[in-house]
Parts: sequence; structure tokens; C-alpha cells
Amino acid sequence: MNELIPLMVIVPLMAALLISAFSKFNRITKIFAFVVALCLPLIPILSNYGLHYFGGYEPMLDNVTGVMFHPAITYSFTFLQQVFIGAVGLLTFLVIFIYLTKYKEVSGPYLFLLFLGTAAVTAMILTDDIFHMFVFFEILALAQVGIVAASSIDYSYEMALKYMILGSIGSPMMLLGIGFLLALTGSVNITDIASAVHMGLIDATSPVFLLSLALIFFGWLYASGLPPFHTIKSGIYSKAEPHGAALLQSFTVMAMISIVLIMFRIYSSLPIFEVLIVFFSILAMILGVSLALTQTDFRRMIGFLAVGELGFIGLGIGLGTNFSLTAGLFQALNEILITALLFIGFGAIVNATNEVDTRKLGGLLAYHPKVSIMLLIGGLAMAGVPPLNGFQSKLMLVQASLSCGFPELSILAIMVSIATFVVFVKTYYTIFLKPKPNDLELENRDVPRSMVLVMGILLIIIVILGIFPDMVTNGISSFVGGIL
Amino acid sequence: MKLYDQIFGVVKQFKKLFSPGPVTNADVSGSITAEIFLIVSMVLAVILLRHISPLLAGLVTLILAIVLISNIPLIPKFKIEQEDSLEKMLFYAIVVLALIVTFIYWGGSLV
Amino acid sequence: MAQTQLAILLTSAALVIIGLYAAIFIDNIIKKIIGISFIEEGVNLFIVAIGYKAGGVVPILMPGMDTSWFASNAAYPLPFGLVLTSIVIGASTLAVMLALVMVLYKRYGTLSTKVMLADTSKQEEYDE
Repeated sequence: MNELIPLMVIVPLMAALLISAFSKFNRITKIFAFVVALCLPLIPILSNYGLHYFGGYEPMLDNVTGVMFHPAITYSFTFLQQVFIGAVGLLTFLVIFIYLTKYKEVSGPYLFLLFLGTAAVTAMILTDDIFHMFVFFEILALAQVGIVAASSIDYSYEMALKYMILGSIGSPMMLLGIGFLLALTGSVNITDIASAVHMGLIDATSPVFLLSLALIFFGWLYASGLPPFHTIKSGIYSKAEPHGAALLQSFTVMAMISIVLIMFRIYSSLPIFEVLIVFFSILAMILGVSLALTQTDFRRMIGFLAVGELGFIGLGIGLGTNFSLTAGLFQALNEILITALLFIGFGAIVNATNEVDTRKLGGLLAYHPKVSIMLLIGGLAMAGVPPLNGFQSKLMLVQASLSCGFPELSILAIMVSIATFVVFVKTYYTIFLKPKPNDLELENRDVPRSMVLVMGILLIIIVILGIFPDMVTNGISSFVGGIL
Repeated sequence: MKLYDQIFGVVKQFKKLFSPGPVTNADVSGSITAEIFLIVSMVLAVILLRHISPLLAGLVTLILAIVLISNIPLIPKFKIEQEDSLEKMLFYAIVVLALIVTFIYWGGSLV
Repeated sequence: MAQTQLAILLTSAALVIIGLYAAIFIDNIIKKIIGISFIEEGVNLFIVAIGYKAGGVVPILMPGMDTSWFASNAAYPLPFGLVLTSIVIGASTLAVMLALVMVLYKRYGTLSTKVMLADTSKQEEYDE
């Protein structure tokens, strides 16, 4: 059923518009949002692999040069897209489930932003058209800003405005790079551009082509929150509601891999491209983890950890072999799940204590044993402890960098994993294990049951992926074989 | 003893990092871990230069190790440079943009 | 007629550079945002300039036109379509930014970036 491919974007987009228009009717809005959110993970599972040409414009063969041209905006749907759209769809469903059960009165505009962001990342990973990708990249930035600004945390407006201003510098630069590519090739279809580059129609060392790489790369740094944007990225995670932050980090990972795969298809013939990706990934790992070690606000700490883990994805992609790309993409999938679990779990702690400073917390193990056990397993998964999924992808990454002849990178990756573990153990100790401070007042509230349920679901997926990684890696590996 | 005193001085300086709140032992140990992690990982990353030239890698590693170790504590300086004010963020964003463009424009055909 | 295209390209470069200067060095947030929209418009102008064709005609196939003459004389229409989308996006980001500035101006009573968007991580952690 190839007709379902465009529906993956259209359903959340239409739902977003309808919900914001009819948000007066609280009960209907709730039911409608729940049903649509339930559809989001189901559509990619039911859909067949294939291509969708918008407007029905099939590719044309140029009889003179023998080159295929793609006049339509094309969506290509393969196993990789299925897995990632399914994961984000599931996460959106879980987040909306938490939101709907937490509040009696739901806010239509907030649900609008959640659906809009999901639609944007879905379109970004499906599309084969670089300008289409840019449009949804901007829509995603607007949705992210909205999700941050809608939270009731102090200084969230300031953080949202900072993110917006930095984005307004990052995204025009990216558009300029796309403009350079358009000027060189006369096309915005990525398959067309990539075939023009690989057939030698474009001089790969020409300054305009190199400049387009630099500018799109800068836009990618902004989208994925690698340095120099790691501070603002961790900032917006810590200023969003916990369930919003869980979704925001999945948006970041999706934007990161969809743009980097596009860049990989166009620029992989340039060695400098891979050097740059590895450089910024290493920087992200070092800065993210070392800053996470010094934070006292645990939301900010998870934010920095999430940024540091992004470096692993970049490392896998920067090494550029089939195995390393598979490892990087698998790590991306794992990170979406694990970081969501951590954000929701620590959000439950904020909910129960109204406190985010680790220095004022302590002894919560006795009060919230379920949450603490699940958080512990989530943290172990992030640090890469067997048999959880983080271990499988990090092991693959270490092997990949060894087989590429970079033992330093393997050691660095292991060291970053250890430091991640230290961050987690330190935070876990200060929140759960050390004696409870006398002036800590526990709000007389239970952790919402929906949050515990969602954490349980995510945990089950984490364990299953850790024990049977082949379910995902085989399919990703064959996808990677297609673009190499 | 000199290095020991220096490390002891580092712990005192962390106090400023966590003001206005109290400083707990977990925070200090975390900061010292970050300090060591930063030095080791930077030095380790510089070894990657050996793919360009082994001599360059050796020299840069030595110099960087000496500079980093003699400049501890690094974390307070690092944190000041990466605070949340828009000015710092914009400044670094533009610096990185300029560096990437320069590096790719003139170095793109070399690598 | 190549000078026309060159002039457009130089103008767009000037717009981007002026915009970047304003976004970095000017303290007033409104002026900063004006600088940011300068960058956006400069990029849009650049993409329009790609589609320029000296002596070309509007890319609409009217009845009675010779198809091969049209194909060799019409301007390239794709950039114009893209710019239209990009202008709409730019306008919406501008609106969201100005809305946030309005809220923050009411809270702080100033438009200075140094005050409004300073580092907040210290005070929020330990001021209850």
C-alpha cells in the first residue's frame, strides 16, 4: 500500500491543524488526539516500501545524455525510514498519552506543536528533495521553539528566543548552500544532484561546490546541536516540560540523521567532509560529557549527555564504511529511546519533588522505587552496559573505528562511555541514594501512572533491541549498502 | 608536592564554580573527573594528527599536554566560555562558521 | 547584461554581510532581528538571481508560442517557486521572534540583549 507513504506526513499535519482549530471542545480534542497519535506508529508498519511521486510526475529519461530526471518531489520509504518513523511515531504517541492523562484541560496549540514537529521530522527523513527538507527543517525549528516557550519553567521564553535567533543565522546559511547547489546543477532533487556529482558533471573541487558543503554543514550543526550549538540545545531540553524534552531530543536525532544522510549522498566523494564530521563529533563528545559532569541541574545534565551521545552517531557516519554507518544509525535509534526514557524518568522526579537541583535532593529510592530502578537501567543502557541496546551499538562503533585503522577513536569512544557512566552514577547517587536532606519537602503526589507505564514500554523495547540487535541492524545495513 | 598543592588549589577554585549554592563532595569529584577527562581526551584526539604527519602529532601532543596540565583548573574557564548568554553563543557560532568556510574553501582540495 | 546578474549577486552578498554584522554587534534586540531578516532577504535575492536570464521571458507558456523558442528563452522558474516558499517561512519566523520579544520586553522593560538574554543558569538554580 504505497498510498500510505504521503499519509505519514499528512495525518499529523492535518491533525495539528484540526486540533488547533477545534481546541474549544476539550473532550473531542482529547479523543481525536489520542486516535491520531495511535495511528502514527501504525501507518509506517502497515505501509509497503517504495517511492511516492507527488503529483504523479514519474522520472523522465533524457534521451540525449541518458540521465534520469526527477521532476516531482519524491518520498522514498525503505526499512530505515520505517524504523525511525515508527520509533518517533511511538514516542509521539507515548508523549501525547502522558500529556492527555496529566492535564484535565488540554491545550490545543500545544498538541498542535507536538504533531507539527512529528510531521516535520517524518517529512525530513522521507524526502528526496533538498529544498523540501529545508522547508520542514524550518517548520521543525518553529515547532521546537513553541514547545519550549509553552512550558511553565522559568526563563523558557528567553531560551526559546535565543534558539530562534541562532536558528535564524543557521538556516539562511543552509539555504544559501542549497542555492549554490541549485546554481551548479539546476535541480533540487538529491538523486539528480548526487548522480551529477558522481558522473563528474560537476567539478568536485570547485569553490562553489565546496562552499555549499560548508554552508549546509553549518546548518546541520545547528539542527543537530553539535558544538558550537551544544549549549543552546541542552538549554532548550532543560527548559521544556519533561515529556516535551523527550520528544524534542528525538526530533534532534531525526533531523541530524536525515540531513547527514543527504550530505553523505552528495559529498561523500570529498574526504574533507568525513574529516569535518569526525572532528565535530569528537568535540561534541568531549564538551558534552565534560560539561554534563559539572552540572547541578539534572535536566541540564541529561541535556548535555544527550548532546554528547550525538557525537557517537556522527562518529559512525564520519568513518564512512558500511559497518560504521550501520552502527551510527543504530546508535541514533537507541539514543531516541534511551534519552526519552531518561527525560521522562527525571521528569517524574521533578513532578514528585518540584526541585531540579541535585544538591537539594536525596533519598528518593525509598519513595519512588519503580522510577528509580527503571532510570537506573536506562542510565546503564546509555552508558553501554550489556545486554542493553546502547552496548550493542557502541560495541559496533568501537569495532568499526578499529577496523578503519583509528584505535584512538575506539579508546575515545570507550572513555566517553565511561564518563557518561560516571555522570549517571553521580546523579543517581545524589538523587536516590544519599540521605534525604531535612528541608526537602516531598509533594504529596504520586508519580503519574502513565509516566511509569511509558517508561516500562520504552524499557521493554530497549531490552529487546539489546538482545536481538539483528532485527534492526540487518535492514539498516542493506539500506546503507544502497547509498554507499 | 607542587602538583599536589596545585590540585588542592583546584578544589578550592571549584567553590566559585558552584556559588551561590553549597559545594557537595559529589560535585567536586565530578568536576575533577571532568578535568581529567578533558585533558586525556583532548590529548588522545590530537594523536589523530599522526595520519597527517607523525612528527606533527608528537609535537602537538606534547605541547598540548604541557599547556593543559599547567593550566588546571580548566573546567571553570571552560564553563565561563560556554554559558547561556546570547552574546557568547552568537560569537562562537559565527567563529565556527568563519572557520568552516575558510577551512573548506582553501583546504578542501588539499585533504 | 551579465552586469545585471552580477549587481544582484553583489547586493545579496552585501545584505548578508550587513545582516551578520548587525546580528553580532548591535545590542538592541529589534535591530538584531532586522539584521537577521537582512540575512534572509539576501539569501532570497541570491536564489532569485540564479533564475535570472539575460533577455529572457516570463516562464509562462502562452498559447501561440513556439515551444522550442520558449524553452531557450524563458527564465528558469524553479528558483522563483522556492523563494516564494522561503519568504513565507521567513515571515513566520520573524513573527514568532517579535512575539517573544514583546513578551520579554514587558517582563524586563528594556530591549538590550545583554540584559534580556544574559546567562540565567546561575540565578535559576539557587534562588528560591
